[in-house]
Amino acid sequence: MAEALAVIRRRAGRWALNGAATLALAYILLPLIFVIWLAFFRQEIPSFPPEGYSLKWFAAILDQRKFVDGFSLSFEVGVLATAIGLALGVPAALCLVRYNFTWRGPLANLLLLPVVVPGVVLGTAMYVFHVEVENGLDVDVLGTFYALVSGHIVIVIPWVVRLVTASLSGVDRATEEAAQNLGANPWVTFWRITLPAIRPGIVAGALFGFVTSFGNLEMSLFLVGPGRTTLPIVILQYLEWKIDPTIAAVSVVQILLIGTAMLITDRYVKLSRVI
Amino acid sequence: MTDTALAHGPVAERRRGEGLTATALLAPATIFVALCLLAPLVILFRYSLNEFIPTKKMMVEAVTVANYVKFFTDPYYTAILLTTVRVSVTVTLACLILGFPLAYVVARTQSRFKNLLIILTVLPLFVGNAVRAAGWMTIFGNKGFLNTTLQWLGLIDKPLEIMFTEKAVIIGIIAVNLPFMVLTLQSVIEGIDRAVEEAAFSLGAPPITMFRRVLWPLALPGILAGTILTFILAMNAYATPFLLGGPLFKMMAPLVYNQFTQQSNWPFGGAIAFILMAVTLVLTLAANLLFQRRARSDLGR
Repeated sequence: MAEALAVIRRRAGRWALNGAATLALAYILLPLIFVIWLAFFRQEIPSFPPEGYSLKWFAAILDQRKFVDGFSLSFEVGVLATAIGLALGVPAALCLVRYNFTWRGPLANLLLLPVVVPGVVLGTAMYVFHVEVENGLDVDVLGTFYALVSGHIVIVIPWVVRLVTASLSGVDRATEEAAQNLGANPWVTFWRITLPAIRPGIVAGALFGFVTSFGNLEMSLFLVGPGRTTLPIVILQYLEWKIDPTIAAVSVVQILLIGTAMLITDRYVKLSRVI
Repeated sequence: MTDTALAHGPVAERRRGEGLTATALLAPATIFVALCLLAPLVILFRYSLNEFIPTKKMMVEAVTVANYVKFFTDPYYTAILLTTVRVSVTVTLACLILGFPLAYVVARTQSRFKNLLIILTVLPLFVGNAVRAAGWMTIFGNKGFLNTTLQWLGLIDKPLEIMFTEKAVIIGIIAVNLPFMVLTLQSVIEGIDRAVEEAAFSLGAPPITMFRRVLWPLALPGILAGTILTFILAMNAYATPFLLGGPLFKMMAPLVYNQFTQQSNWPFGGAIAFILMAVTLVLTLAANLLFQRRARSDLGR
């Protein structure tokens, strides 16, 4: 009898648990579901119930240059910042895992610092820095493309360092030593042994770095020049005035692109293992 | 091998070679971050000690703590700080309560949909806070989903005012931060051996007791990490309070932006930025100490 009661109790517990988990997942997804729904409304005002459905808002995106321009700027900055972030971050991660030296802890923390500093503080600090550099060296810095990219590299580096460090610590050093004993020089060892072993970490670092850069809002607000803004800023400024199916359609395109990128990445690296 | 290397011996050469390699690997990233992050922060801090002349909208070089004093003596600004802390604490607690069951299910599931569950949790993180705020605007607006549904059901006569209130902001930030909490907790729970839970059950512990005496203490490091991460993110929130809070609702990050761009008051904006970081750090450390003491007394029992 007591045993049966315990079984019932455990089963009830399981139901309660699954219910609570579903609720939390629904909560996370709820705003996205409504944005996707809104993108297909026929009328322009987001009132319920919708008067009908239409696909015209997706065509309307292309009529608004600012969305297309914002997307292309965000994409360019993201790709460039991720490439440079990888070039700087992968060697740094190698060094942090493979060598033991006095300043290792503090330097590792320095490279991870950009995630902890609020976006608005990053933006303001870089802004005043650019003002100082511009005044001091008499060159154009403020609001330039390269100033924007340099800021984005800073926020890409922590992701690369963290994820590559994590995958490096799982690599057995003995394989590398074996390669070197067999006559491979350090370069060959890196290309043929180390790099393939840490590829999941690099792919994950690149994905997260790119997405962080692509979606960055707060820091970029201070770094963009007049007339050329990134997609998240275009979306924010649009939403400040009104919400309509056009902006929802823009969001749907973004959700689709990012969802696809994640599914593709998931085939190479199990996302559950890298996050 | 060269003569100099022979003079110092092969071991010394290898050491020096390693040191050089290590420097060559780490230096570029370090120099870049120092130049593009540390230097700007130092300059911003220096600016926060400058004076500002409101009539001319001009910054004058000085060394004064007047900006910091101004913040803490003006009730307008201390109220904004208090709102930010209150919202962040509420959001963090809600995320912990909502996030734990989902994290547990994701960590323990054997189903092949596990990856899909994780992607669904992570995807919203990547679509930007502004887009998610747009979703909430559709739900909470006067003619939004919630009000239309409630009116249709006859539960209310006139629309509820949720948009542009603290409630909307809290609801919005919870949704933004929940994935971070879930991912942190999930990775820790996955590291806890399932057998420990089974042992508690087979000794007759009901689920609540198992949770309280086994799961919670073992997951405590992850709970602490997730709580701190969620809290920091809530303290720094910008887009959600900006879009869902409206012009009258104020939190710290939008305030920094406002001081910089609308008021052109760089010294005061800089001071607020450092106050925000300092308060976040102090509260985080306090939570850390409290948790650790609690964990120790739990172990003692």
